[in-house]
Amino acid sequence: MINKVYMFLAALGCACLCMLVVLPAGGVDVLEIVGWLAATGITGWMGWRLYLEAKMLIVQVESLKHDYKAQREKVIESTMQAKDYKLQVQLLKRQKQNTEAIIYSISDAVIVTDVNDRLLVANEPAGGIFGFDVEKSVLKLLDELVENAEIVRLIKKSRQGKIRDIRHELTLKGEEGPTIYDCIVSCIFDEEDKICGAVSVLHNVTREKEISQMKNEFVSHVSHELKTPLASITAYSEMLADGEAADEKTRKEFYSIIQTQAQRLNRLIEDILNVSRIESGLIKVTKEPLSATLLVRDAVQMIKSYAAEKNIEVKEETAIVFDQVAADKDMISQVIINLLSNAVKYTPDDGTVTVDSEVDEARQVVRIRVADTGVGIPAEDVERVFDKFYRVKANNKCAKGTGLGLNLVKQIVEKIHNGQVFVTSEVGRGSCFGFELPLIAEKALAD
Amino acid sequence: MDKRKVVVADDEVHIVQVVAMKLRNNGFDVVTAEDGAQAYELCLSEKPDILITDYQMPQMTGIELIEKIRQDEQFTSMPIIMLTARGFAIDDQLQGKLNISRCLSKPFSPKELLGHVEDVVSQPVSK
Repeated sequence: MINKVYMFLAALGCACLCMLVVLPAGGVDVLEIVGWLAATGITGWMGWRLYLEAKMLIVQVESLKHDYKAQREKVIESTMQAKDYKLQVQLLKRQKQNTEAIIYSISDAVIVTDVNDRLLVANEPAGGIFGFDVEKSVLKLLDELVENAEIVRLIKKSRQGKIRDIRHELTLKGEEGPTIYDCIVSCIFDEEDKICGAVSVLHNVTREKEISQMKNEFVSHVSHELKTPLASITAYSEMLADGEAADEKTRKEFYSIIQTQAQRLNRLIEDILNVSRIESGLIKVTKEPLSATLLVRDAVQMIKSYAAEKNIEVKEETAIVFDQVAADKDMISQVIINLLSNAVKYTPDDGTVTVDSEVDEARQVVRIRVADTGVGIPAEDVERVFDKFYRVKANNKCAKGTGLGLNLVKQIVEKIHNGQVFVTSEVGRGSCFGFELPLIAEKALAD
Repeated sequence: MDKRKVVVADDEVHIVQVVAMKLRNNGFDVVTAEDGAQAYELCLSEKPDILITDYQMPQMTGIELIEKIRQDEQFTSMPIIMLTARGFAIDDQLQGKLNISRCLSKPFSPKELLGHVEDVVSQPVSK
């Protein structure tokens, strides 16, 4: 609109100027002057208006430039913020990946839940134990994922009670028997010290429990075995001191009992120490090439007097073989003597004990067997006769023993000589105990 | 006055002998057994005033023997002394449940054992 007014005024100015040009030819001077003044005034006013318009335009342009600059700065700032945000997101992602990598690499089961007991992170062992897919189960309620109510209860208890750490022993039944876990549930607190979830770690302690149980049983067995001869020694000594043995014959009998029980105690201590030394690898082993058959002959000679007390015949069916084994002479002798004395011990009077040895060329081993016509071992006990302190209940009456002799045999043969022990038995007919030792390779022997 | 009768059960023959001798020397009538099953038969036939038994025995353990004995009405209140060479003491609850009068740990003093025997046989019968 304003532009149109300016254009009209400009046209009027131009008309006035035209009149000034046309009028002098035959017009009036007064009109010429008025026209001139009007043209001058209009033109001047128009010029002034144009100046003002131009100035306003300049101001507007400056303002626009300023706005543009401000906008540009804002855009730059936003871009920088966006970049910063992107970096932060990347950093958080990396931190999450690192945390997850740590959790996934832990062999213990780890379960991280949020404040509503929904799964945030869990590793494969956790999925394996509780039977859920760790990737597909994120943000699912733990109650729905885990059948075991105890772990869910522990997590809830820890979170609701704001307890920093709860430790509990968890027993889970499995196909291969129960598994025991040491379970620690810890609350996760945010920067305002509010609970935002819980982390549960389950460490399998089944083996530790078994070892602890075995240790307790070992202590109980050792205590029992040591206290038994000690009880006799204590009781008979007191009887002697109190003059309860009425005559010389009784006194002698008491002295003899004390002596044999002291020897029994000493043997037991030696056996325990030997088993312990072998298990801990502290025993000194001196291996040399020797013939197992010759060791059998020596052992048979040693056991014959003991066998004669029960009128037991000891037969030796060993061929003259010089096949060599690399063995500790004293230890293998002890193995053969232990097997022979057990055979005599558990064979009734007038029985037979047969020892034989053979070379198994195919397997490159020497096999020694000690067979008896003794009481035999029930099938359920056969597998366990080499266990430490294991004694066949049904045969307890036949002879006293510590339950260490056969364990020592197994340790010496298998742990020290890389051999193998074996046993077959039939109740009422007898048992056959034996072992195999690897032959020295011919080349090694020639060298 | 009739002699008090004692059944002594232990698979350690020397322990049975020494306990029997100590008690006989002090006026008790003693019958001995080498395992739980034999001890149970002796209890039924001899009807003792007191039973002394080892914890660990073949055929039938001391605990199994006592459980069986206590099922028989005539032996519900018979004093029983248990000897044990185990590393751990017998559970108090089990001792109470089976009404075991005393529990002595091996090695024990025969004099001390005699004191316990005299003590429990002189006490009024507790059910």
